Amino acid sequence: MFTTLLAHQWKESRRSSVFQKSVAVNIILGFFIVYFLLSFLVLGFFIDDLLRQVYPDQNPVTAFNGFLLYFFLVDLFMRFMLQDLPVLAIQPYLHLPVKKSRLIHYVLSKSVPSIFNFWSLLILVPFLVKMLVPAYGTGIAAIWLLAVMLLIFLNNFVLIYFKRQLSSNPKLTLAFGIVVLGLMLADYFDLLSLRIASAAAFGFLLAHPWAVLLPALLLAGVYKLNYSFLLAHTYPEEMAVKQNKSAAGTDIAFLNRFGETGKLIALELKLIWRHKRSKSVVFMSLLILAYGFIFYPNKLYQEGFGMLIFVGIMMTGMFMFNYGQFIPSWQSGHFDALLTRRISPYQFYLAKFWFFVPASLAAFLVTLPYAYFGWKVVLINLAAFLFNIGVNVFVVFYFSVLNTSRIDLSKSSAFNWQGVGASKFVMMLPLILLPLLIYAPFGFLGIPYWGIFTIGLLGVAGFALYKQILKRVAKRFLANKYKIATGFRQ
Amino acid sequence: MPMIEVKNIQKTYNGRTVVNIPELVIRPGETLGLVGNNGAGKTTLFRMILDLIRPSKGEVFSKGVNVALHEDWKEYTGSHLDEGFLIDYLTPEEYFKFIGDLHHLSAGDVAERLAPFLDFFNGEILNQKKYIRDFSKGNQKKVGVAAAALANPEILILDEPFANLDPTSQIRLKNLLKFLREQKEMTLLISSHDLSHVIEVCARIVILEKGEIVQDMETTENTLQALEAYFTV
Repeated sequence: MFTTLLAHQWKESRRSSVFQKSVAVNIILGFFIVYFLLSFLVLGFFIDDLLRQVYPDQNPVTAFNGFLLYFFLVDLFMRFMLQDLPVLAIQPYLHLPVKKSRLIHYVLSKSVPSIFNFWSLLILVPFLVKMLVPAYGTGIAAIWLLAVMLLIFLNNFVLIYFKRQLSSNPKLTLAFGIVVLGLMLADYFDLLSLRIASAAAFGFLLAHPWAVLLPALLLAGVYKLNYSFLLAHTYPEEMAVKQNKSAAGTDIAFLNRFGETGKLIALELKLIWRHKRSKSVVFMSLLILAYGFIFYPNKLYQEGFGMLIFVGIMMTGMFMFNYGQFIPSWQSGHFDALLTRRISPYQFYLAKFWFFVPASLAAFLVTLPYAYFGWKVVLINLAAFLFNIGVNVFVVFYFSVLNTSRIDLSKSSAFNWQGVGASKFVMMLPLILLPLLIYAPFGFLGIPYWGIFTIGLLGVAGFALYKQILKRVAKRFLANKYKIATGFRQ
Repeated sequence: MPMIEVKNIQKTYNGRTVVNIPELVIRPGETLGLVGNNGAGKTTLFRMILDLIRPSKGEVFSKGVNVALHEDWKEYTGSHLDEGFLIDYLTPEEYFKFIGDLHHLSAGDVAERLAPFLDFFNGEILNQKKYIRDFSKGNQKKVGVAAAALANPEILILDEPFANLDPTSQIRLKNLLKFLREQKEMTLLISSHDLSHVIEVCARIVILEKGEIVQDMETTENTLQALEAYFTV
């Protein structure tokens, strides 16, 4: 039975839509994964040198052990945000003659072979081979690794238990993150050192290998806890991570003043706030606003123009790019409904346009305090903002008719590549390259501010002609609407 | 001994009672049709009988054994309520084979058990090289109903089996259910919005309203009229 369930699991992941996306996305994804894994591997090989430099008076092994406790805490925090146990996967088996206990063992052990549990080996193993084996011998080193891995598994099951118990309350996760950060700061200011405790605990383990029994027992205990809890709650409505749902109808009165367009914008806002995936797009775009802190303090970028234009375009347009790249897929669930209602494509795009303009304006206003780094920054951001609402917005619309893949809004957004196709990557290029290309000749001629002015001017021109351009967009949409609708129905 | 015995069962969501049934007994070989408007609690009752929802109060016994405490009932109970019962990333063949394996049926047995369903499938289910999730709702229902009946269960529980099916398939399903009832002596528990179909298949009709049983009657030639009168408000 267990092997049958495993075979099903294998089929599920191999047949999932994640693998059925385009080759280009797979290659890019694969590239990122390999890049990160290699980075960890390199870190693993050189972490002892790093530790020697930062803590010259400490043995690298002690220093490393000191950080382990923090590693487990941060790991737990990351898991709170990213990991989940898909217990509902056993729903189709509940009415069949399969023992519940077996299903629960299966679903729990299924959580073990996950990247969350094994990526750290890339750091641990090189460190082990380089430092621990020469100092303590293979046996003790292996026990040390075993203990660390057992604790990682412990984290795995602790998370599963708490996530199910406490519900996925983002506030609690945030509070936990703040506590971990507080502990780190306390350590930094020598108020309370978890590092000493951690180093002592793992030092003890290296001296007394039998102590590995402790994490093993803890792991067994938490596994048992999970098992008993799930066995007592094998009901789909109780197993799902609890969510406090109470839908309140809201009316954004302010938007009613803008007629049809206002109503469509209100609809769009509701779509965003009531779905996880779209919400996370908003948060990602907010994070990008801090981009300036990476670039502006750097003298090298400050003196040039190209990089600043890039940063300006990204900061004032990120929401538009991020959200816009999935137009009209956001509406894929009810696209047929939209097509059969009295909403013209022009109206549809007009609402999107008036949705993006204020969003970009807000982003520009938020970036105003970057004036601290000089008025040049503000000037460039203003030009970038104008370019975004006058040119880039239409580039986004132009590419939108290529979106024929459906998005399931109820799915969570972390690592969600649904609806991501090669066209998304192609689309990002002109958005960023176009302003740089416009600027380039002026830069070479030594009149950079004329370049900035031209970027802004083009934006203003596009903005002034928005009605004409939107009509063309609507025409293009009409020509493609059957293709889009067919794609969404799949 | 009754096949299914529902005792004092209640389900409340946020203080709102959705099912409240003091007693319901289904004897072996009986065919019971459950009718009622949307929100009457039909599906919730089915889910409690199948131990998929924990009742707020009361118990369900299958052959005298509490379904929430023992899992023996799964051996002789076939059920299909909705698409959640299907393992949708399998092909229908794989799914049937899996269900067959659970009941220790050989590939030949499975093919033989599916034979009466071939008309019902209308050539749209087997050998389609498609995953279940890519089938239409109606065809998914066909897969679910066939899988539920595959093991020759003693009791077959179906929620809205006629919904989403085309007229031909509805009639074929009706004949199939009659065949199962007469030839295999299966106990049937069916909910439906289609009054004429359900009285043709079921010898006993229970009307559920707001979670409570309001009528429990034997099917006669006047039942359809009685039901229509009841639902005409």
